[in-house]
Amino acid sequence: MPIIGKASPEDTGLHPIHYQWAYDLYQQAVRNSWFPHEIALKEDLIDFETMTEEERHAVKYIMAFFNPAELMVNRSIALGVYKYLKAPEAHLFLARWMFEEANHCVAFEYVLETFPFDRETIYENHVQVPEMIAKEEFVTKYMARMADENLDIETPEGKRDFVKNLVATNIVMEGCWFYSGFMVILSFRQRNILRNFGSLVDWVLRDESLHLKFGINLIHTVLEENPELLTEEFAAEIRDIIIEGVSVEIEYNKALFPRGILGLNAEYVNEYVKYVADRRLEELGLEKHFNAQNPAKWMSTATDVFELVNFFEMQNTKYEVDAHGSGESKK
Amino acid sequence: MELHVTKRDGTRQPFDADRINKSIERACAGLDNAFSMVAQIATETRLTIYDGITSEELDIATINAAVQNIKEDIRYDKVATRLLLKTAYKRIVGEYNEDLTILAKRHADAFIDRIKKGVAEKRLDTRMIECFDLEALGAYMDLGRDELFIYSAVSTLLDRYALKGKDHKPMETPQMFFMRVAMGMCYNEKDPTAVAKKFYDKMSHLKYVAGGSTNINAGSARPALSNCFLIQMEDDMSHISKTVSDVMMISKATGGIGLSLTKLRSTGSPLASDNTYSSGPTPFAKIIDTAIRAIQRAGKKKGACAMYMENWHLDFPDFIDWKHNAGDDYLRMRTANTAAFISDEFMERVQKNQSWYMFDPKETPDLIELYGKAFKKRYAEYIDMAERGEIRAFKKVPAREQWRHILVALQTTSHPWITWKDPINLRALNNNTGTIHMSNLCTEICLPQDRDNIAVCNLASVNIVAHMKEEGEMDWQGLEDTVRTTVRHLDNLVDINVLPVEEARNSDSANRAVGLGVMGFADAVERLGVSYDSPQSYDFADRIFEFISYMAIDESANLAAERGSYSNFAGSGWSKGMVPVDTLERLESERGRPLSVDKSSKHKGLDWDLLRGKVQKGMRNATLMAVAPNANIGLVASTVPGMDPRFAQVFSRNKMSGKYLDLNHNLVKALEKANLWEKVKGKIIESQGDISDIEEIPEEIKKVFKTSFTTSPFAFIEVAARAQKWVDQALSRNIYLETRDIDEMMRVYETAWEKGVKTTYYLHMKPRHSAEQSTVSVNKASAMGKVGFGAVLAAKRAAAEAAAPAEMPKAPASVPVMTVEEEEEKVMVSVAGKPKVCPIDPAERAQCDSCQ
Repeated sequence: MPIIGKASPEDTGLHPIHYQWAYDLYQQAVRNSWFPHEIALKEDLIDFETMTEEERHAVKYIMAFFNPAELMVNRSIALGVYKYLKAPEAHLFLARWMFEEANHCVAFEYVLETFPFDRETIYENHVQVPEMIAKEEFVTKYMARMADENLDIETPEGKRDFVKNLVATNIVMEGCWFYSGFMVILSFRQRNILRNFGSLVDWVLRDESLHLKFGINLIHTVLEENPELLTEEFAAEIRDIIIEGVSVEIEYNKALFPRGILGLNAEYVNEYVKYVADRRLEELGLEKHFNAQNPAKWMSTATDVFELVNFFEMQNTKYEVDAHGSGESKK
Repeated sequence: MELHVTKRDGTRQPFDADRINKSIERACAGLDNAFSMVAQIATETRLTIYDGITSEELDIATINAAVQNIKEDIRYDKVATRLLLKTAYKRIVGEYNEDLTILAKRHADAFIDRIKKGVAEKRLDTRMIECFDLEALGAYMDLGRDELFIYSAVSTLLDRYALKGKDHKPMETPQMFFMRVAMGMCYNEKDPTAVAKKFYDKMSHLKYVAGGSTNINAGSARPALSNCFLIQMEDDMSHISKTVSDVMMISKATGGIGLSLTKLRSTGSPLASDNTYSSGPTPFAKIIDTAIRAIQRAGKKKGACAMYMENWHLDFPDFIDWKHNAGDDYLRMRTANTAAFISDEFMERVQKNQSWYMFDPKETPDLIELYGKAFKKRYAEYIDMAERGEIRAFKKVPAREQWRHILVALQTTSHPWITWKDPINLRALNNNTGTIHMSNLCTEICLPQDRDNIAVCNLASVNIVAHMKEEGEMDWQGLEDTVRTTVRHLDNLVDINVLPVEEARNSDSANRAVGLGVMGFADAVERLGVSYDSPQSYDFADRIFEFISYMAIDESANLAAERGSYSNFAGSGWSKGMVPVDTLERLESERGRPLSVDKSSKHKGLDWDLLRGKVQKGMRNATLMAVAPNANIGLVASTVPGMDPRFAQVFSRNKMSGKYLDLNHNLVKALEKANLWEKVKGKIIESQGDISDIEEIPEEIKKVFKTSFTTSPFAFIEVAARAQKWVDQALSRNIYLETRDIDEMMRVYETAWEKGVKTTYYLHMKPRHSAEQSTVSVNKASAMGKVGFGAVLAAKRAAAEAAAPAEMPKAPASVPVMTVEEEEEKVMVSVAGKPKVCPIDPAERAQCDSCQ
């Protein structure tokens, strides 16, 4: 069974499983279940009081983007991915993926509704701030094509559109933009403020890492099954989408940090975005474009190694939920 | 853009790179690589600052630049530590223009000044002036000892334990902190100044560190110095209400609480007053859960509570679910921890695959007080009554099913912790005043309590590593001296302690219970060159604990001769001439089966018979030892906390005072010696601190340096069982598991019970999936063996090479697609000012990154 194509009756039978990786990722995603209300934010509110105007601006700005952005991803999956995928195990993952984006959206909403923000302004930001509008327009551009009734997924053109949308949403938005936003939020925890918000982001980042694994796997599978897509022109087109995505993000980060705060400024964050974008290019089999260095060495402490949590002081965000108690197996 | 720094007085000055460099240089003094470290820190500091940065932020930026390089070279840890200390000195002591003599003098003056001011403002005890020669103590402090710390130690100490000023900033340096704690234990000594010096010397050399509450409150006007409290909620409304109040008062005084809820009648149990029904323990537990959540915002240390329940309680199945992340919030404990208090009877029924009965404690109240054979007998009688229909409410399940249910919850929520009622009570020397109904917050305390007595324990921990000589030999004499000093410190504490609740005062003064712990075990084992899960390590644990236990008990007997016995001494196991190891036999005989632990002595030359005679005459303290987790004080001592294994060779600690990278210095030194560190340091992070699959590292290093997940879980049990032989209370035994097989997990926990371990603590499961790594190279596609668009590029390259086979590829110039990118790269290169041209000479090409 090809992974993408027109729906057919056998698409609803889960077994035999053709794409084991999709099924495995679904299983892992389920184990990662968490809920926003597990995190208490009171200490973060105290921190927020002590933060500078510029730091608060950064927090609010990021919230204003992330809250709707999570739903943008959902829309892209619904309109641009779900209906063109045939493998039911992939549908399982997509369903879970959409739940997670919904969960992320309400997680950011939970923070938004708890912090002393001018919420109405923040909720409206994404349709008023030019740098945020540009980001939404970027994603919408590729998504719009997928919603077109005339798109024929069985044609090379239809398949190219499918991959382009997936790259815009999954590789650029989730794989680059979100990663820079997470780095900014985790930098506050590294300074020992907004630690609980940092715990929420740990979870979101763990989920997003899975989404990215799925997206990259899906793109590679489509390319393998459809070798006619492997042309120089199409490779260049994909590359350009990622590079364009970075340039949109660069403008956004300038507005995020007009002056800079302790440990972060627009240049620093953009260097990180370029570093991450290079990684994404390579993961698609393309060459690096920016040759950027990761300025945030401290991320090794924030995300790269196992975490031993003092559970009296911090939420343990590393637990998984699916222990099986039944059966006297493996004697 | 020109950069400015905003000074403390609000004025702006141009950023002075030279000045920053000089200060970094001083922090690097005497270290290898100083030159390149200075350049690295200066460059990275520059990246993170902005125009208008405050001078205080600039200090932090410099420290952070050093900290983020620790993973590259442990010398950066030393630099970061010195930079942090310097900012502390400057803020607390004032400017000293880098002159250490001036610093020492001003440091002493500032110390005396702070004490006097603190007393005048009624924050400190007046005895802090009255009892001491302040001039002598001020001059006695040695700032050179600050060199013993690692970065996370100083950061934790300043954040958690140093007294804070009105601006919430620390107003004590680490040495002032040690001296304050030392003095706060000496008011009743004959020569307080001399003894304070002795305590200070031990603590400032990191030989032992006091418990958290002592560190925070010693010397203060209200010295609440105890860490651990044990309370049982009685089955009546007035006591439930009082318990809520007690929990809050104790939490405010920074105590951690063990709370038993076994006595509360079960859901649906009739209420006599109005013929209605009880709502069971859960809603009352929730009140406590909310109460401690309120308290945890106020002080330095969060309010914390572990809730205990015996597993024959009718509501025990609900109790198991208390920590689930989903479900009705009113039935879940978000803040409190839970621990199951399990009987030998249950374990036996699990192993024999028999039924397990749960009852309403309203109907079976005596079960709470019984243990051993007496429990077994009474439990059987209740079962008969139940089967005959003479009991209102009971549930019957296969024992193995409940056991499985407990372990599934433990695996997914890390709760409830598993603790065993019978070894706790049958091995106790102190339960002449009643049954022990629970352990405490961290499962290391075993003290009886009742309605009039809230059990209290006072803690300090000895650092084994600080008693090792260079060659990995123990300094037994030094260790003996430290243990005796620590016991004296703890005993002194009891008479100074101010407790917030009368019932706690009763118990503290009548029992004088103390818990001397041990830390740095894993660190020490590494220095001995053996792995945590080796027979040598087990024997080392056995030997160390036998020795420490002997000296601690002996010192308490000495103190009894000098100061008198504790008032509940009569009738205790001590008074019968028993020492902890003597109680193993009783446990075996009540269980009717032998313990599967080596019961012999590994430390020759300790005359236990002599000691038996001595303790029979009198003991100063009802208990002597308890091995706490030391999550914070272990860090202050710059070693591995408690009996914990090395979590990983590199990992992060997520704590209230920050998120720290913990890199195993012992491993780094071993790798540097083998000339391997530079080669493998990136791989160690990539593999999340597990070196077992790194090819370059030789077997003999891998053998010693295992992680908590590559160490056999049975090793955690064995180490605990060996130590437990000698320890009169218990140990906070963290467990780490990679396997998620419930049957395997059952074997681990059943082995713990069979070896006579009294308690286990938190369960850390190895995560199966982590977030994408940031600082190491990641390519998910190549990891899967996929090339994607790489196929197009490879085909093109092959075509280009076929067209011009003889020429050295001048690379992308011949590939049209790449031209644009190449142009941009050139621009970037020239901006950076480092023209990068590949060499032509083949030998040089071999060294060029781009050509390779």
